[in-house]
Amino acid sequence: MKALHTILSGIWQRNPTFVLILGMCPTLGTTSSAITGMSMGLATMLVLIFSNAAISAIKGIVPDKVRIPAFIVVIASFVTVVQMVMQAWFPALYAALGIFIPLIVVNCILLGRAEAFASKNPVGLSIADGLGTGLGFTLSLTVIGCVREFLGAGTVFGCRIYSADYGSLLFILAPGAFIVLGLLLALFNIITDRK
Amino acid sequence: MLIYLAIIFNAILVNNIVFSQFLGICPFIGVSRKIDSAAGMGMAVTFVMAVATAVTWLLQHYVLVPLGLVYIQTIAFILVIAVLVQMLEIIMKKSAPGLYAALGVFLPLITTNCAVLGVAIIVANKDFGFIYSIVYAIATALGFTLALLLFAGIRSQLELADVPRPMRGVPVALLTAGILAMAFMGFSGIKIG
Amino acid sequence: MTSSLRNMVLSLTGLTFAAAAILAGVNLVTAEPIAEASVKARAEAMAAILPPFDNDIAATATELPDGQTVYTATLGGAAAGTAVETYSDNGFSGRFTVLVGFDTEGILTGYRVLEHAETPGLGARMTEWFSDPTQPTRYVTGRTGTLAVKADGGDIDAITGATITSRAFLEALNRARKAITD
Repeated sequence: MKALHTILSGIWQRNPTFVLILGMCPTLGTTSSAITGMSMGLATMLVLIFSNAAISAIKGIVPDKVRIPAFIVVIASFVTVVQMVMQAWFPALYAALGIFIPLIVVNCILLGRAEAFASKNPVGLSIADGLGTGLGFTLSLTVIGCVREFLGAGTVFGCRIYSADYGSLLFILAPGAFIVLGLLLALFNIITDRK
Repeated sequence: MLIYLAIIFNAILVNNIVFSQFLGICPFIGVSRKIDSAAGMGMAVTFVMAVATAVTWLLQHYVLVPLGLVYIQTIAFILVIAVLVQMLEIIMKKSAPGLYAALGVFLPLITTNCAVLGVAIIVANKDFGFIYSIVYAIATALGFTLALLLFAGIRSQLELADVPRPMRGVPVALLTAGILAMAFMGFSGIKIG
Repeated sequence: MTSSLRNMVLSLTGLTFAAAAILAGVNLVTAEPIAEASVKARAEAMAAILPPFDNDIAATATELPDGQTVYTATLGGAAAGTAVETYSDNGFSGRFTVLVGFDTEGILTGYRVLEHAETPGLGARMTEWFSDPTQPTRYVTGRTGTLAVKADGGDIDAITGATITSRAFLEALNRARKAITD
């Protein structure tokens, strides 16, 4: 029950993108289409689940003063594993996400959850937290990707909705990333205010 | 000489790290409320980025590549940057207290500034030469500083504006950044040399 | 846990060794597929742009002084065609590289853009714009001689809104042709 609650709050109440406003770089940089946004979210979620589990498991043996470097080593190791696996079996996706895969290391969400949750909670709950926060991040990136792809290219996940001639290229280019995220955040604020 | 001019122009205006490469967004949104702190952050990032790029370049070309350990690049680079920032903080505190007073508070934030690690990785993967890499790093950091300063200037004006409630704070900041990014797109396609 | 120098050093060293061991293990498993993936991608591109061939084309690579690389394809020992890895520095955002195929007569048989940073939706459309057989005014396959866009007196439609990229693209194609005729 508590695990389920942890997962759900990661998706909505503590949504990393729309509530905590963390991990902005991949959120803007990889959402030019729904599929790249979703893949980035999933890659981050994988690292987050494993790093949360590992950090929770070693929390008893790491002295306080070297806590942060220890967390960084753990996170960087899992990022490297994900990086190698993607390069080996999903080379096209790896090329599309480019530098944002190794940069998962410096995504504030990971260190943030390690410090705020995994280093204080048992392994099972930490995995649930990683899953919830990761899903929240993945959903946010997918939504932003869908909106940008729909407005910019007239497709969603590659399926054509209307002719590409009427798409506004701006939304696929850099300015569109900022504008769509800004407007979606405002929309999110309106929805949560009303409650 | 012309080639370095081209790198500088390119990194600051055409491929601005914030507006076209989406790196270093967190400090861009977080620290850019006041012009003073934006300038401080910019200087600290420029300093760290230049030193970090030099050290990681040497690490990449004299340790990782010869030993066939390129696959641990990410973990090696982030550790080097973390240690470097710590060392800089200690050295600055002892030998340049004036500078430390100005930049000190920004240093811990820089370890998780993805622009620093990002530039180190870009430079290593694109196989730039040593001098070229340093110039690229400094120019990129100057581009970051420019973005931060421009943005801080606009935001201090925005404070006075009556922004609709759901748009206040980050949403309006992002929209502003979007318009700035549009302006920076005007530089694309311009070539030097 | 309280920190002492001894347990700080011990725990960090232990953690680093554990991480190194895990990474070395994963590297052992993934090194081969990673190497294969890039070889496979290159082989696929070659097969797509050249007439049928059966030699190990990667082994025939010869680099020219101007930075282009020429590959020779043979079928049953007889010449089948030539692929040139060429480039242009006049694109909208820096250098891009293209692999261009020619048959033995010097007729263009196809191209594949290998790396580029052109604007998505504009210049980036060069990856499919010039290879659409239903659009004869911009289809480059089957052509000979020097190519130019209509604005420059040629007969090829430039990409809508991306004349600079189109020009640079044809410049790369012409450079590749020059490499095989010289």
